[in-house]
Parts: sequence; C-alpha cells; structure tokens
Amino acid sequence: MIVQLVFGGLALGSMYALVALGYNITYATSQTVNFSQGQSVMVGAVVAYALHVGAGWPWVPSVVVTLIALAALGVLVERVAVRPFLRASSIAWLLATIALGIIAENVVMLVFGKDARAFPSSLAVTPWTVLGAGVYPHELLVPLVGIALMVLVELAFRRTLAGRALRAVAWSHDAARLMGIDVTRTISVAYALSSVLAGVAGILLAPLLNVSATMGTTIGLKAFAVAIIGGIESARGIVVAGILYGIVESVVAGYLGTGVREIIGFALVVLVLLARPWGLFGVPTPRRV
Amino acid sequence: MRRARFPGVVVLLLAVVLLLTATRGWTQAKPPVSVALVAAMSGGSALSGEAIKRGLTVAIDEINARGGLLGGRKVELVIRDEEGNPSKGVTAARDVIEREGAVAVFGGLHSPVGLAMLPVFHELKVPYVGTWAAATGITRNGRNPNFMFRVSANDDVVDHFLAKHVIEKLGRQKPGVILENTPWGASNQEGLTKWFGKLGAQPVGFEKFNWNDPDMSAQLLRLRNGGADALVMVANAPEGAQVVRSRAKIGWSVPTVSHWGISGGRFAELTGDLSESVVFVQTYSFFGKQSEAGARVIAALKTKYGIKGPEDILAPVGTANAYDAMHLVALAVERAGAADGARIRDALETLGEYRGLIKTYRRPFTPEEHDALNEDDYILVTWRQGKIVPVSTK
Repeated sequence: MIVQLVFGGLALGSMYALVALGYNITYATSQTVNFSQGQSVMVGAVVAYALHVGAGWPWVPSVVVTLIALAALGVLVERVAVRPFLRASSIAWLLATIALGIIAENVVMLVFGKDARAFPSSLAVTPWTVLGAGVYPHELLVPLVGIALMVLVELAFRRTLAGRALRAVAWSHDAARLMGIDVTRTISVAYALSSVLAGVAGILLAPLLNVSATMGTTIGLKAFAVAIIGGIESARGIVVAGILYGIVESVVAGYLGTGVREIIGFALVVLVLLARPWGLFGVPTPRRV
Repeated sequence: MRRARFPGVVVLLLAVVLLLTATRGWTQAKPPVSVALVAAMSGGSALSGEAIKRGLTVAIDEINARGGLLGGRKVELVIRDEEGNPSKGVTAARDVIEREGAVAVFGGLHSPVGLAMLPVFHELKVPYVGTWAAATGITRNGRNPNFMFRVSANDDVVDHFLAKHVIEKLGRQKPGVILENTPWGASNQEGLTKWFGKLGAQPVGFEKFNWNDPDMSAQLLRLRNGGADALVMVANAPEGAQVVRSRAKIGWSVPTVSHWGISGGRFAELTGDLSESVVFVQTYSFFGKQSEAGARVIAALKTKYGIKGPEDILAPVGTANAYDAMHLVALAVERAGAADGARIRDALETLGEYRGLIKTYRRPFTPEEHDALNEDDYILVTWRQGKIVPVSTK
C-alpha cells in the first residue's frame, strides 16, 4: 500500500515542484509572483488539447506551439499585471495576477466549454505493476520529465548568458543595471519561463487529471504552499519540498483518510512559517531596506 | 345622386367586413401562457440546465404546433439562471411569477435551490415541477396543500435501489462507498447507511473526495483493505472518472454501481473502456429501441439543436424528465381551464393517464405522492462503446 501511495504522490509532487519553481524564478528576479500560475497549468493543458486532440496535430508541434503560447502568456501577465504596479512600488500585482487567472478560467469556460475532457495518452491506458503497486507508465514519466527539466533549468541558470543575467538581476537590480543588463527585459523573461514551466506541468498532467477550466486552481495553490515550505528563494529546496509534499499528502490520505489531507498539508505550511519563516531550505537573509 | 351613393355603401360594407375580420384576428392573438425554468444555466452544472431547456422546448413546440392551450394560447418559456445559488433561486422564482406571470415553474439540478424556493411557491400559489434535483425533502415537505411536484429521481429512493441491487442482485455483503464531499454526498451517505442497514449489510467505509481531486487511489485502497466486495459511487462525471481510473490502476476489479451524477458529463470519453465496468441509474435511455415519443423527441432535437444522435444528448435525464414534466403541466392547464397557479396545482393531483416519454403515467400525481417517477421507473444502465445501454437486472 505504501508503495502505491508513494507513486501517486511522486507524480503530483514533482508537478507541484515544477510549478513552484516558476514562483521561485519570478520572486527571485522581481520579488513578485504570478498568482495565476495554476491557471497557466490549465492553459497549457487546454491549448495542447486544442492542438493535439482538437486540430489533430502530432504531439511534437503541439507541445512546441503550446509552450510558445505559454511564454507569450507569461510576458503578457508581467506586462499587464505586474510591471505597472512594480514601478509604483505597489503590491497590487498580487490582486492583478489573481484577476488575470480568474479571467483566464472564465475565457476558457466560454471558449472550451465547462465539462472536463479526456486527453488521450497511450501511456495512461494499461497500468504496470511495479513493486506490487499498480501505476500508469505516464505517472512514472511525469516525475522523470519534471526532474530532468528542473535540472536543465538549474544548469541553464549557471551556464548560459541569459541564465547568468537572471541570477544577476536576482542578486541586485542596481548592480545588474550597472553591468549593462536590461532588468525589465530580464524580469519579462523570468515570467515567460515561469509560465512555460507551468505549461509543461499542464501538458504532463492532462492525461492524468483530464482537461477542464478549473483543473489548475488547486495545483497553483499547493505549489505556492510548496514554495513557502521549501523557501521561495531556494530552487533546490522547492524541488525537495514539492516531491515531499506530494508524497506526504498521498500517504496521509491513505492512512488517515482524505478528510484530514488538506488539514495536515496546510497545517504544515503554517508550522514551517512559524519555525522557519524563510522556509525549510531557505537562508535567513537580513531584510534589505 | 343614387349612382353616386352606391359606391359609398360598398365602401361602408367593406369597412365593416374588414373591421370584423381584423377584430376576429385580434381576439385570436390571445396572451401566451407563461411557464418558467429556474435552473443552473452557467457554471459547472450548466450542461444540466441546457438539457432541461431542450426537453421543455421540444415539448412546448409540440404543444404550440397543436394550437397551444386554453383555446389557442401559445405556451411561452421564461428562463432564469440561479447559478446554483439558493438565494438567487428565490429571487428568480419571485421574479418569474410576479413579473413574468409564470403559472408553473420548472426546477433544475441543485437540491439546495429547490429547497430554498419552496416557501415562495407556497406563498405565491404557483406549482413547482422538479426535473432533476433529487433531495427527498423537496416533494415530501409536510405542506398542505403541497405546491411541489417532481418528475425525476429522489435520493432516498435511488439509495434504496442501489442498495437492493448490491445486496440482492449482486449478492454482496460488504459494500464500500465513495462519495463527494458535498451536501449531495452527505444526503446519500444518510440514505445508503439507512438502506444498507435495513437490508442487513454494513458498509466497510464511506470515503470522500473533493471536486477536482486528481487521484482516488488512497480512498480506494482503504476500502479494499477494509474488505469491500462492491463499490458504490456518488460522483459527477470528472471525479467519477478519476475513481474508476484509480480503481483500475490499483488492479481492483470489483462490481461498481453509481448514482446518476456521472451521466451529467463526458464520463465515457474520460474513462474509455473502463466505463463499461460501471452500472448506474437513469430514468430514461435514448439509446436502443425507442417508443414513438422517444423517436419524436430525438428527431426534434436533431432539427432544433443539430445533434447527430443519442450520443450527443448530454445529461439525457434532464431532457427526458423535462419533456414529460412540460406535457404534464400542459394537461393540468387544460384540466384547470385557466392559467392560474392554484387551479393548475389542484389539476396536477387529479390528472388521468398520460402516455409520456419515460413511461405511461397511469395517475402521475396524487395528493399523497408528488413524485411522478418511482423505483419501478428507474433503469440500470451501463456504457457499451460510449453508448448508454440498459442492463438486465432480472
């Protein structure tokens, strides 16, 4: 039973981590997060559905076009809901991004419809038996792709020029500006990247969750919890926290019942905040004034 | 002089004839008989509202094609969206009766809305005819006279139907129940506890899930490890699909019976072949051999809404229940002889035989029984290649 629960938790947990990494990237570069990350997950799934199932495209171009659309969405969110408020040092970006998320959800309801649709995957038809537990191959693919992608993002941050620019902006806007880095543009790139990660999560989850306008809301919320637990400034902390959160959630549901799952999950968030406000893996930094 | 007056007389006569025909035509354009639908037309249950609207519209088109009611008055449908919100339902019910003059109001999927509107119908003396919401208390409310009628299922009766099937037909003694964490789930937990108890069985557990939960393996493992030998499910289509997929994943083959919520969406599409492993309750199936009424309704849906076949009739029970409900109301209006809510209510209780879509109603309602459908009218169905087909339970 425990193996079964861990497999279930692994797939979801790695996706929480992937979405939470998006929070991390924008927070590090601009001290803001896109609270419509959950809806970006949904948009990823819906666009991929429209191209792959609706229009019958092969999956490679479907995925590529979906991710380009998601990058554009990220840029749009930053331009419309974050930049104007950042300039005015207001925290209205918080409400503005939530508002964009709600708009996205309702637009999808209008255009795509209100009922859940199936996203076919040949890997989610026949379950395999692994260590005595049943698991759809697709559920194994999800954490594999997720973790590979997270490693890739980390490498890109360290090895590429754009990645270094992102890290420089995260370190200090002024210093980065002095080095000739276009800070505004870099923040825009961070939003695009964060949306793309959410979109990948959406595409990966679609065959497991079905595609609907509201599929991303809970994931976005839990990913934010994960980002807080892991330490929103610590990418590695988030990855570990995400996977752990998924597994704990699943094991708690299995042994104590689903009624207490959210209670324990979110109680953990509060506990971590009380004990280590900078997150489990974060580093306490003196506040820059 | 005389020659000159002649055309004047002709003109006068012509004018009189014209006036007569004009006023005759005028009196023929009688005011319509208004009926209303107050249901969820938007949000997650919008499909049910649309299905009900279609059933009502097809019936109204038939009635109007025959010349309307009460000697030539056309039937007119007013629709209000209650968004699944009880207080919006109350406002809408008042609005359609007081401002639009509706003489009967049809209700939608949400039981809490039906229950909230109950006092309004009694105060304004206009009958409510439920076409979906199954809460027992809507019709069995202790009021006299009772203005609440229903052409739909009733949770309590459905729970008895399901429990009996599990215990008597399947011969299982340890059912496991999985239901949604909502008032609807709770009302069925009550009903299933009661009826399984009366049939001498003890469910091994009642597991719950929230809307949009992705994986139900944990709940199902708990039921399986508790020794469940049958699975009873109370879910809507998306979550029901996740239950069935999780069940297949953990390799648990167990007879699965379900309430009808899974028929309100695309369950067969979401689960593929697995849909064939679930039996569930319906009041009517548009698949298979159709009665004359069934064929007529499908043909009307094809021309009016462009459906290709019965597989496009989403939320079919909404359409079927509403179709019969509208015709029953029409018969009651004729019997009452007036577009008057209180008299229509009295007439509903004394209607004679009506050959409907779902069945031939010998006596649709009596003063004691305001549910036109009962356990004998429920059918057990399953999916075969994406189509809903009846299962023989004999």
